[in-house]
Amino acid sequence: MEEFEETPRQHYTEAQKNSIFNNEFMPHINSMYNFAYRLTLDGDDAKDLLQDTYLKAYRFIESFQQGTNAKAWLFRILKNSFINDYRKKSKEPSKVDYQDVETYYNSEDVDRQITPDLRVEALKDMIGDEISNALNSLDVDFKTVIILCDLEGFKYEEMAKILDIPIGTVRSRLHRARNLLKEKLSTYAKQMGYKNA
Amino acid sequence: MSTPDPKNMKQDCSNKRECLEMLQLILDGEATAEQKEHFLKEHLEECMPCYKNYHLEVAIRQLLKTKCCHEAPQQLVDDIKTKVIQNLSRS
Repeated sequence: MEEFEETPRQHYTEAQKNSIFNNEFMPHINSMYNFAYRLTLDGDDAKDLLQDTYLKAYRFIESFQQGTNAKAWLFRILKNSFINDYRKKSKEPSKVDYQDVETYYNSEDVDRQITPDLRVEALKDMIGDEISNALNSLDVDFKTVIILCDLEGFKYEEMAKILDIPIGTVRSRLHRARNLLKEKLSTYAKQMGYKNA
Repeated sequence: MSTPDPKNMKQDCSNKRECLEMLQLILDGEATAEQKEHFLKEHLEECMPCYKNYHLEVAIRQLLKTKCCHEAPQQLVDDIKTKVIQNLSRS
C-alpha cells in the first residue's frame, strides 16, 4: 500500500500509539463516516469501510508522522480502501470509465452547455434532501472533491495528496463538479416551480 | 462588501468563466491577497452576473454544510474502539 510507504517508519510505544489513535484519529470519525457514506451510499458499506479504515490506520500507525495532518492521512486511506475494495460492489449508479468522464468534462463544450442559471431564492426553498441527493448523484470523483473542499475544508494542496492528482487537476475537477451540482440543483428548482432557475 | 447599486452595474460579463474560477479560488481561501483585493474591489461590485454568482456560491456552500454532514452512529464509534483494543491485546 503506497500510502504507507512514503514517510520513514516511526517508532511509537503502545501508549503513544493509543494516544495518537484516540487524540488524533478518533476526533475525525464523524467526517470520515460522512465521507464513507457519501461514497458507498449504503449504511452497511459505510460502516464496513469506516471500520476497515480505522483498523488499517491503527495497523499502519507507524507510517503516520506525528505533527502532520492526521485528517488528510485518514481520508487518503479511506479513499484508497474505497477504490480498491468497495467501488466494484457499491451501489454507485454510474459505471462509466473514469477516464471517459474526465475527458468529456475537460472538453470546452461542457462549459457552453452548462450555464446553470440558478438563483439564491430557489436554494433557500430547498429545505429537504435536494442538495444531499444532488451531491449523491454526482460521479464519485466529482462528489469527492466537493466533499473534501466544501464540507471538510481541505486546501487544494491537501486534496492533491489525498487524491494523488496534480493541483491543477484538483482545481479543474472542482470547477466541473460545482457546475454539475448547480445543474442538478437547477433541475430541482425548476421542478419546484422556479422559472429560469 | 458593501451592497452595490444595481443601476450602476454591468449586466453582462465578458469573462464569466474566468471570473467564476477566480471567485471559487477566493471562496476556497486559495487566492492571493492581491487577487482577492483586485477581484472583490475592482470587479465584483460593478458586475451584476459575478455579484449574483458570488451569492450563489456562498449559498450553495452553506446549504452543503447544513444539509450534507451526518454524524457516525455511536454504536459504530464504540465498535471501532473495541476492535482496536482487541487488536492491541493480541499484539
